[in-house]
Amino acid sequence: MTAFRFIPLSLALLVLAPAAQAQSLLNVSYDPTRELYREFNEAFAAHRVEQGLEAPVIETSHGGSGAQARSVIDGLAAQVVTLALASDIDQIATTGKLPTDWQSKLPHNSSPYTSTIVFLVRDGNPKGIQDWGDLTAEGVEVITPNPKTSGGARWNYLAAWAWAEANDRDPAEFVGQLFANVPVLDTGARGSTTTFAQRGIGDVLLAWENEAYLALAELGEDQFDIVVPSLSILAEPPVALVEGNIADDAQRELATAYLDFLYTPEGQALAFKHYYRAWDASAADPEDVARFPELDLVSIDDLGGWAKLQPEHFGDGGIFDQIYVAP
Amino acid sequence: MRAPLVQRTAMPGLGLSAGITFFMLTLVVALPIGALLWQGANFGLSNIWATINRDRVWAALWLSFRLSFLAACFNLVFGVILAWVLVRYRFPGRRIIDAAVDLPFALPTAVAGIALTALYAPNGVLGGLTNQIGWQIAYTQWGIFLALVFVGLPFVTRTVQPVIEEIETEVEEASATLGASRWHTLRHVIAPMLMPAALTGFALSLARAVGEYGSVIFIAGNIPLRTEIAPLLIVIQLEEYNYGAAGAIGLAMLAISFTMLLFINLIQIWSRRRIGHV
Repeated sequence: MTAFRFIPLSLALLVLAPAAQAQSLLNVSYDPTRELYREFNEAFAAHRVEQGLEAPVIETSHGGSGAQARSVIDGLAAQVVTLALASDIDQIATTGKLPTDWQSKLPHNSSPYTSTIVFLVRDGNPKGIQDWGDLTAEGVEVITPNPKTSGGARWNYLAAWAWAEANDRDPAEFVGQLFANVPVLDTGARGSTTTFAQRGIGDVLLAWENEAYLALAELGEDQFDIVVPSLSILAEPPVALVEGNIADDAQRELATAYLDFLYTPEGQALAFKHYYRAWDASAADPEDVARFPELDLVSIDDLGGWAKLQPEHFGDGGIFDQIYVAP
Repeated sequence: MRAPLVQRTAMPGLGLSAGITFFMLTLVVALPIGALLWQGANFGLSNIWATINRDRVWAALWLSFRLSFLAACFNLVFGVILAWVLVRYRFPGRRIIDAAVDLPFALPTAVAGIALTALYAPNGVLGGLTNQIGWQIAYTQWGIFLALVFVGLPFVTRTVQPVIEEIETEVEEASATLGASRWHTLRHVIAPMLMPAALTGFALSLARAVGEYGSVIFIAGNIPLRTEIAPLLIVIQLEEYNYGAAGAIGLAMLAISFTMLLFINLIQIWSRRRIGHV
């Protein structure tokens, strides 16, 4: 009988997470950075040890960008957030956990790496898809996640919008036609990649450039081609230090060093390696850098900035709801 | 030596255990539902109605409840048959099937969803076959139905199984010796005894299906007005940080579910009264 007395105690120990150690950090990120941060965390820990410091314990949590932001708002104690959209971090800032001017704290709009939206098509490009205009053709099936649930999909949508604006097409009508060609709306970018690559649905996947290369590397270069459109969007996934979750000065030093390390030649080389466009190619493998073709990139600020775009396009009853749900 | 305690009720420690039970229920059930109601109260009735009263929300609610109901009906029939076969017949592999019935409980729903999608996608093993005859399952309402059947089936089987075990074969034999046909025995002797448990299983299966998210989301296709389930609409509102609107749809689902479960309970009471205590 006495053994049973310990059950509540051991249950309590199982439920409660182990207390944080002095040198630990939680990085709350979004889905497609899984591979990048796995390697980056190791490199950062090694870098700290080289400097004669204690090896830190870095934990990373991945999920949909919006869901991750909500977790942090609701109390997940992330010292560092590396999300898909500045508007998600803005939302965390409204709770006062970090200053509203967070995006000016680090270089390049606090985006150590950028990406863009490209097309992944089936081998040999049987439908002859070259640019955004081809996506609204009769019989072309487009795979993209739902802009209402996926940060990545908002970049897809805005890239199509920007192309239509630049080509004198009615952007709302064009994007409406494009989404009318979507047979499956997954909730996240990884789900869409799976639907396209493994379930064999659709003719073209609108994807983060890094996701497209990753799909190519993992699922076979003989099965898919990457098509780069004439114009796309400059996707800036930003990073920030969450002031409100910093326990002490030692942790602030660690979190700052972590984010700064993203901008070092070594950190930038890792971003290039994981198919992100980074800024400093000095330490990167030239092959990783040569991979990225030049194309016209429209920035979010060109389109009006997230603070305006987010409610106008993706808010309740916004443009996306109007063009997609209305028959 | 301890003095014998005076027992006032048949159950020892009733006060303590009831106290713990009510405390835990409050903590894990009543408080979250209360929070949902509280949020709804803050959001306001007119806002709640404005959130729900849209084509897209009605379509999703109708889809969720209709397919959950159909899946629960399917599970009622096949769950009972499965339980019957498992209890009454001895065949090789019976124990394995018996154990496998619980699998949908144990499996993370997302894993179930991905497995079902892989199987029933147009390039999957089974989806390939059905697509040849022009019947697409994944990314249609059939896919949602299938996922809901999968997650709900064990509820019916597991609630009916012990009742079937209790039914003595003598009862059937007595019925037969009195001249009843097999069908007559099934309808007037077996079915009434199974009814209350089967209805409980039906209600559980229905309730599980209504709230199901993980397993459905991969196979549904999630196209608004066609294959978009109500729980996804809640997630979409959360994604927009519209906690009030998310709560409003949640409340609508709660109200509909509550009405349905109340209705099933009434049928249960009615069926119990009709056949007496089993």
